Amino acid sequence: MAAELDCTGKSIREINTGIKEHIANGEKEVLVRNPGARHNLGVALLQPSTVTFDGSVGYFCGGLMDGATVEINGSTGWGLAESMLSGTVIVHGSAGNGAAATIRGGTVVIHKHAAARAGVAMKGGLLLIGGNCGYMAGFMGQRGTIVVCGDVGEAFADSMYETVCYVGGKVEDLGNDAVIEEVGAEDIAFLEATIAEHLPDRLAELKPRLADFKKIESGRRLWNFDKTDWDVWQQVV
Amino acid sequence: MCGIIGFLDKKTDGTSPVGNTVLTMLNALACRGPDSAGVALYTGLTNGHTVLRVKLGENGEFAGRRESITERVENLGEILSASTTEEYLRLELDYQGEPKELSALIESEADTVEVVSMGSALEIVKQVGSPENLEETHGVSRITGTHGIGHTRLSTESKVDLSHSQPFWAHGMPDLAVVHNGHITNYHKLRMLYEQHGVRFYTDNDSEVIGVYLADRLSQGMSLQEALTASLDDLDGSFSYLAATRNELGFAKDRFALKPLLFTETDETVVVATEEIAIENAFPGIGGVREAQAKEVQVWRLN
Repeated sequence: MAAELDCTGKSIREINTGIKEHIANGEKEVLVRNPGARHNLGVALLQPSTVTFDGSVGYFCGGLMDGATVEINGSTGWGLAESMLSGTVIVHGSAGNGAAATIRGGTVVIHKHAAARAGVAMKGGLLLIGGNCGYMAGFMGQRGTIVVCGDVGEAFADSMYETVCYVGGKVEDLGNDAVIEEVGAEDIAFLEATIAEHLPDRLAELKPRLADFKKIESGRRLWNFDKTDWDVWQQVV
Repeated sequence: MCGIIGFLDKKTDGTSPVGNTVLTMLNALACRGPDSAGVALYTGLTNGHTVLRVKLGENGEFAGRRESITERVENLGEILSASTTEEYLRLELDYQGEPKELSALIESEADTVEVVSMGSALEIVKQVGSPENLEETHGVSRITGTHGIGHTRLSTESKVDLSHSQPFWAHGMPDLAVVHNGHITNYHKLRMLYEQHGVRFYTDNDSEVIGVYLADRLSQGMSLQEALTASLDDLDGSFSYLAATRNELGFAKDRFALKPLLFTETDETVVVATEEIAIENAFPGIGGVREAQAKEVQVWRLN
């Protein structure tokens, strides 16, 4: 039985303090009712616990988190799970701009769609998007993995380092220095295991298509300046 | 940073509580724009009358203008009703002539007189201050109709007064109104171009040019969908804006997706807002909310 907290009439600080008090008192699960799409909820959760928001949340939910699980039964605003160190964030609806930006670890699962700049500057972790994602996802990704089951927007995977991306749908436009690689047996096994774990309802539909996923990585032409590659650099700068 | 919202009741017979809905949404975004608040509501009236809302002046300097303006207007069409609230004169007319001719006649009264809105269904009410003030002064929540848009403003570049507030009526194009969050960076260039063609600008607010642009495109025969799509190439800068006509509500978002805008649609309604908190405030738990993508355009029509 989860501990419950109702946001009605409470300030953001009272809600976040309330969540942390429940966790400090040893509660493993906290159910937060009526979040009302308000901002900065469930930020900096540092102990293992599961916090469920029974509705949509606003900006920066699950940000600066280390080790907790946050589940959102709705949509989210900008900056979902921003700079998370570890943990899991699950969104049953869609996420706004900059989901999982600069995460260093952990897992972010978005069942529906992500808006622009999903997974920019990731330094680790996994971002899994069940639907489509918008403009410039994966920009300057350093490490970690992005899996998009649907279509991706313009400038996908621009100027990346070592983030690995998989796309199940259409790639409208690749970003600078992004290249499509062959999908091997290991990639397919990874995708199957990832989808089976985080989006089990989608596995039957996606499994026959896994070999058609596109694997996108950095072409590494922007890692070091080379004057003979001037055409590439000219385009970037 | 501004807040914009839109609402359309798909199945209404014209008696949807749009004023109340739009105001409820707008109240949730008051913190995004404390400078001014405004709404453009579509009353769903089909009697063919022309409804005008006229700003009589600034700072209470409008004694005698109501009488003088109504006298002028009577020469062009029969006045069916006239009422004054604060600096606003609302007129309902039997007028079938050119909108520009009517507004030019009214605005020739004084420099500070402006036709804030004109159309068969459109009513714009805007003022300096919070959405709550809007309700106290104008009783916006009592207005019923089909759809509406609203705006809370945090001024960044131009001055704070009634005329610089939003929504903007696209002067000369009946029933076309716009609310905008962002900056139009080629504003001066576009303004110069339109001024060379004789268009009058009423403010120094860059958002005003969007209405002028759309009116221009619509008058060239484009649909609202086409005009919004064309604007993605013709307007520079950051923008999420909403545009409404007598029977449509639409939005456009810039190519870099720099400004937030979310929406959801059910069998009954369409709701659009800068932040979901506005949608939640009016339609708790409606669900299906998604942020618009870069270069996304959507238009909904009344049935």
